[in-house]
Parts: sequence; structure tokens; C-alpha cells
Amino acid sequence: MVSSDHAERARLKALAHTTALAVAALAGALCFPLLAHAAPAPGAAAPDFALKDLSGRNQRLSEFRGDVVVLTFWASYCGPCRNALQSAGAAVADREGPAVALGVSLDRDADRAASVVGSLGLRFPSLLDAGQSVGRLYDVQHLPLTLLIDREGTVRQTWAREPVPAEVLIRHIRELDP
Amino acid sequence: MTTTVPRRLPRRARQLLAASALLILCAAPFGTRADATEAAAGLRTVDQDVQALKKELVDLNRDLFRLEEELLYPASTQVAVFLSVNVGTFFALDSVQLELDGKEVTNYLYTEREVAALHRGGVQKLYLGNLKAGEHELVAVFTGKGPHDRDYRRGTTVKFDKTIGAKYVELRITDRDSALQPEFDVRQWE
Repeated sequence: MVSSDHAERARLKALAHTTALAVAALAGALCFPLLAHAAPAPGAAAPDFALKDLSGRNQRLSEFRGDVVVLTFWASYCGPCRNALQSAGAAVADREGPAVALGVSLDRDADRAASVVGSLGLRFPSLLDAGQSVGRLYDVQHLPLTLLIDREGTVRQTWAREPVPAEVLIRHIRELDP
Repeated sequence: MTTTVPRRLPRRARQLLAASALLILCAAPFGTRADATEAAAGLRTVDQDVQALKKELVDLNRDLFRLEEELLYPASTQVAVFLSVNVGTFFALDSVQLELDGKEVTNYLYTEREVAALHRGGVQKLYLGNLKAGEHELVAVFTGKGPHDRDYRRGTTVKFDKTIGAKYVELRITDRDSALQPEFDVRQWE
């Protein structure tokens, strides 16, 4: 009788362990794709990419190592993106040190992107991500998305949905590169 | 009532005291210098230790990288594709698209710096992956500017046998002076 109880308890314990393992494995399998495509958080390395700019030159993010980079994802149909682009331009134009701005347009039509760049008079490279591969890499959910990347290629700040004011960008750039 | 009269030290004792004080005063700077030398030597040792530690870290990182590569790409299944440019005056490289057995594995855009590095003799590891033994087909599509600054797109196909050892394929862009055209050739190593 006692040994039967003991066996039953052991069987239940084993069943509980197996269930817990199965749940953990399932949760891991479900969460992995989400984590794998998560946007780079502050402190993470900015994923490298290469895109053509609007003048047809290829630009690679890792070639800007050594400079502080303001990376802005935008699209022509996004109103607040215009302010974000102007802020990024103003923040790097104000600097004497090495800081660059890069815009990544998610427009499929290069002409639309070019017309926005022309109307805003942007002086920094605007890259075209027509296939949205870089947008997926950075998990762009909301526009505009601005990332501040330090000299070592690490993301230090991100701002989504709202354009970040130029003064805020300048303050953060100064903290990184006094 | 008694009065104590201060007694003077004997002359010999006074001379000894004065000499000792003088010696101490003279020795003091030497003592400080000795301390400073000792401290500098200590700092040097710490610096050497830090440098040695850094070297060990670099070595460890290299070993880990090799180990990772050996684990992820064992020699029995490893296939690596390299790209080099020889002269390349008739072709300005823009991008290379690689397909292995009909599946796109790489689409690489070249910046001006990368092209310059290739022209200086650099060899780029374009792809590293795993393939099972047997026959495979590699298609490389080169895009760029050809002679007279015209848009240029050329594909090259190679079929190769993957055996048990690692397979290395080199794509070379060379100049065919007789035709004033670029040439794309493929070399293989086991």
C-alpha cells in the first residue's frame, strides 16, 4: 500500500517535470522569433547594413565607425518624419566633431523620397530601403524611428513615433563625444 | 633651594649629533628618489601585466572564433566563396548576388572603400556555409559599370563536387585586354 502511494507520487512528479519542460520548450520556441527580430535596444550593437543612397552610391553603416551616427528611419507618407529629419540634420550641422546623420527611407519609390529630401534641403546621405530589409532588421514598427549610435557602433538611445528635438539630440551627442 | 643648571652635551656628542643630522638630510632626497624608482618599477610591472593580459585576451578571442567556426562549419560540410579583383579597369563593381542550388545565399553591395580594398589586392570572404557531399551549382551575378560607364550585369555559373574536405571557391574579376572587356572566372580548391 505504502509502496503503491510512493510509486504514484513519483509518477506524478515525473509527469509534472515533463509538462514543465514541454511548456518551457514551447515558450522558448514561441518567443524566439520575437526576440530574434527585436529592435536593437540601447547597449546593443547596431546591426550592420549596406544600402544605396539617392545618388546611387553604396553606403555601409560600419564604415561610419569612429563617428557618432544619428540614424533616422522615415517615409514620405509620414508627416512627423520631416521634423525628425530636420532635427537630425540640425544636430550634426551644429557639431565641429565627427557626427553624421543618415536617413533610411522605407519608400518603395525613390522619386518620392528624393522629392522630400529636396524639399527639406537635407545635406546628409539618404538611403533607400525599398525592399524594407533594413526596416525589418531594425524592427521598425513606428515612424519616425531615430537611433543614436556611438563611435563603437553601439546603440545608445532610440526614439520612436515622435520626432526628437534637435536640442535633445545635440545634448546626447555631446555626452557621447564631449 | 636648588636650581638646576642645564648641562651642555660634551663637544664630542654634539659633533656626532650634527654629523648624523647632516647625513639624514643628505640621504633624504636619495631615499625619495629610491621610492620613486620603486614606484615606477611597480607601475611598469602593472603595465606589463595589463599588456600580457590583453594579449591573452586577444589570443583567447581568436581561439574562440576558430572553435566557433569549426563547430558551425565543420570541414566535412564547409563551403567558402571568396572574391578578388585583378586590375579591374573595365569593370566597376557594385554588387554580387550568389545563388547556391537555386537559392540566394548572399547579396552584397560594395562601397567605394571596399572596392578600393579589393583593387589593392584584398580578398573578400563572400560566403561561408555548409553543404552536403555531392554535386552543387553556384551562380554568381555581378552588377556594376562596364566599359564606357555602361550598366553591366553578368552571371557566371560553376558546378562543383563537394567531397569530404572543405571546399573553397574563388570568384575572380579580371581584365580581358584583347576584347577590352571584364572577365569573370572561377577557381576551386579542396
